[in-house]
Amino acid sequence: MKKLLVILLLAVVAYSLGTALMSVKFGENRLGNVQDEGTVSAFYLNNTPEKLSVANVVTAIVVNYRGFDTLGEVSVLFLAAMGLGSILYHRHKEGEEEEAILKPSSQLIQAGSKLIFPAILVLGAYVFIHGHLTPGGGFQGGAIIATGFLLMMMAYKDYKVSHKVLTWVESIAGVTFAGIGMWGLIVSQSFLENTLPIGALNNLFSGGIIPIIYIAVGFKVAAELTGVLDTLLNIKDKH
Amino acid sequence: MVVSPVHYIAVPLMAAFLIPLFAKISKELVRIVPGLVIGYLSVVSVILMTQVVNTGQPIVEVIAGWNPPWGINLVFSAFTGFLATLMTFMAFLIWIYSYRFKKVDDAVAQKYFILFMMLVTGSIGIVLTGDIFNLFVFMEITAIAAYSLTAFYRDRDGAEAGFKYLLIGSFASALMLLAIVLLYTQVGTLNMAEIALRMHTVPQAMKITIFTLFAVGLGIEAEMFPLNGWAPDAYSQSPGPIGVTFAALVVKAGVYSLIRVIFTLFDIHGAYEFLIIMGIITMVIAEISALKQTDLKRMLAYSSIGQMGFVLIAFGIGTNEAVFGALFLMFNHAVIKGLLFMSGSYLVYNTPSKEIKDMAGIGKKLPMVSLFFALGALAIVGLPPFSGFWSKLYILMAAADASFYYLMGTILIVSIIEIVYYFRVMGRLYFGKPQNDVVLQKPTFGGILSMSVLAVVIIAVGFHPDLVSGFIQSAADTLLDKAGYIHSILPNADLTNL
Amino acid sequence: MDLDNNLLMSIGVYGSAIGLILIGLYAVLIKKHLTKIVIGLSIIDAGIHLLFIAIGYISGGTAPIFSPAGEKIVANGGIMVDPVPQALVLTAIVIGFAVTAVALSLVIRLYRHHHTARIDQIKSLKW
Repeated sequence: MKKLLVILLLAVVAYSLGTALMSVKFGENRLGNVQDEGTVSAFYLNNTPEKLSVANVVTAIVVNYRGFDTLGEVSVLFLAAMGLGSILYHRHKEGEEEEAILKPSSQLIQAGSKLIFPAILVLGAYVFIHGHLTPGGGFQGGAIIATGFLLMMMAYKDYKVSHKVLTWVESIAGVTFAGIGMWGLIVSQSFLENTLPIGALNNLFSGGIIPIIYIAVGFKVAAELTGVLDTLLNIKDKH
Repeated sequence: MVVSPVHYIAVPLMAAFLIPLFAKISKELVRIVPGLVIGYLSVVSVILMTQVVNTGQPIVEVIAGWNPPWGINLVFSAFTGFLATLMTFMAFLIWIYSYRFKKVDDAVAQKYFILFMMLVTGSIGIVLTGDIFNLFVFMEITAIAAYSLTAFYRDRDGAEAGFKYLLIGSFASALMLLAIVLLYTQVGTLNMAEIALRMHTVPQAMKITIFTLFAVGLGIEAEMFPLNGWAPDAYSQSPGPIGVTFAALVVKAGVYSLIRVIFTLFDIHGAYEFLIIMGIITMVIAEISALKQTDLKRMLAYSSIGQMGFVLIAFGIGTNEAVFGALFLMFNHAVIKGLLFMSGSYLVYNTPSKEIKDMAGIGKKLPMVSLFFALGALAIVGLPPFSGFWSKLYILMAAADASFYYLMGTILIVSIIEIVYYFRVMGRLYFGKPQNDVVLQKPTFGGILSMSVLAVVIIAVGFHPDLVSGFIQSAADTLLDKAGYIHSILPNADLTNL
Repeated sequence: MDLDNNLLMSIGVYGSAIGLILIGLYAVLIKKHLTKIVIGLSIIDAGIHLLFIAIGYISGGTAPIFSPAGEKIVANGGIMVDPVPQALVLTAIVIGFAVTAVALSLVIRLYRHHHTARIDQIKSLKW
């Protein structure tokens, strides 16, 4: 009976979404003439190369035009790490025998991961440092670095990441982001305003504060994702 | 440095990032810093509110130097500023209340206070923002802090309540995101003022679909029936101060977003009737459920949902008087429900089984707490001379003026139901033989202080409603003035098609 | 011919996004194991993100990056796809990840407490 109701609900959802999307043709150009700036995307595409000297328009949107959303998103990640810590908080009672969940993996993986790990770190750093020039950015680079740490954690049973270092990196990166924003408020008129010289297009040192913020975001995301993985993988259970 | 609305968000975020570092210096700092931050924000509220009242113009702050609609903007108007000020002051009182709350010991205090501060920041962000995707981001900040705080205590069913809240809350955000997707394809912008401006170009069928998605998604946050299944569990299983925060801040932010979408973004004519109908259903079902509850906090939670239904009815009537009454009710609900939850937490704390029938005679052993609870109960059912009387009166008058006589009847019947279950609790408290073997947990100094402040506000506003009615009237005027809102954000806009 | 192609592509892309949403909904509503419910939530998110990116696509457009190659394409009269949905989806993916992390930690807490991860056996509160 319940299954029937659910299937009915799914059919209703599919029908309404389908009909709603029928009027939104795939691939239709809703931006119009980019010079007219009728929609926000047209404005961004038209003005980013001159006003911000940033090649990757998506980066410019994420860090500058809608930088406030990114600040909110970074705090969501921070909150998730805090929430995880508070929900899984476990007072260790004496005399309880606890066993880690992870088991050691094979020799091949252990040897291979030691070789690949630095390469993954370099790739991640490259992605977030060049976020304003090529596809990618802080979030993507941070996720790549966290994947590298995950590989090491899965390969070696006792791989420990120092929580103290992670906390420091998180806090400093977060304060950098919010601090650059406040500095914009103090020195110029608005929060997160671009206060450094913007340089030339396609140069590594271009875009004012945008690469700096994205690098801070990259570090923060890497630290937080690694922290979350570490918390989840180091849960000890009684047996 | 000039104060501006962005301080509400930037300062707590900086503090939240720094608290883990502060914790290494001193454990006490972890409890003090959020209090300092929220205290500072209260001062900011007063400054900004006086500025808005004196100049009559909302404060529109531009972020990152890009004017709307290209960038994000924050709007501190008479309406949003009133809500933000209310939330900040309630947050400060809740901080005082929870400073030395018994069950939050030093080991977890850091996480508790950071999550609490972010819950407050998220709610205030929802109210102040002028951009719909930013609204979504702040809703998520509030939601994640709320899920974690619901599951905070280990010895209750917090994890189950938290998981249920998470499931339903994720539905809400998914629906909201879908609504934003469809809306973006139609209007090409995310700024609320510009969406309001371009709404007339959206075809009717699409408009109804998007509105339905918004209504269901935001209705979950605003505890509209039938989407409020998560609320009683979340309120009863979370720590006491967090229950207060949910009632005073989070649900207000949810109702605000629903109202903003209906009054400012959309121009659908059936929306007001929809609000009245949903409000009636919510109120009636919630109050009848409250009657059947035996757990004090669940009863208070259902009563809270009923009050929100009442607020929705008042917004649905839509006239200036009705909106004035609705905002007055939101103010009263925050203050009175805050007091009820604060005192209720101590009553429940002293009753191992949490059932009302086991609370016999506590009135004699905890006189102050019971007095506060009784005061709150009398205020919320609308007895004069307390503040709750005025809001009910104004809404009833507005319903009469708009000839909604059946509404008046429903509201009066529901008030009688409220009187029944609140007086039942008060009777239990004062009459009955207390059990002598319970160890008393007396409230802390902070607890008594915050509860007294709320009690004073209830009595003061009850005798002199003009203390707040000036602010509420300008808030109501600002909410109904759609053209004014758009004009203050986009000065060059063409307002002929509204 | 072009119209048929477009319709087919529309149905393909939108259909897969809606399909993912439906699969996720089915998992959340029918499945009893808590982890499967959390995975269902993730799948719903994936479907919505795919939908969001799909509406940003413009036929014949290239990536919105003004690299030397991109600038040449624009100078020759080409167009770029819509960058805003991509930026919004970046934020939405991170938020979805955070919610999934919190959900999984709640599942772990529930398992520790009740020693079962099936929703029909964890029913102390009224559903």
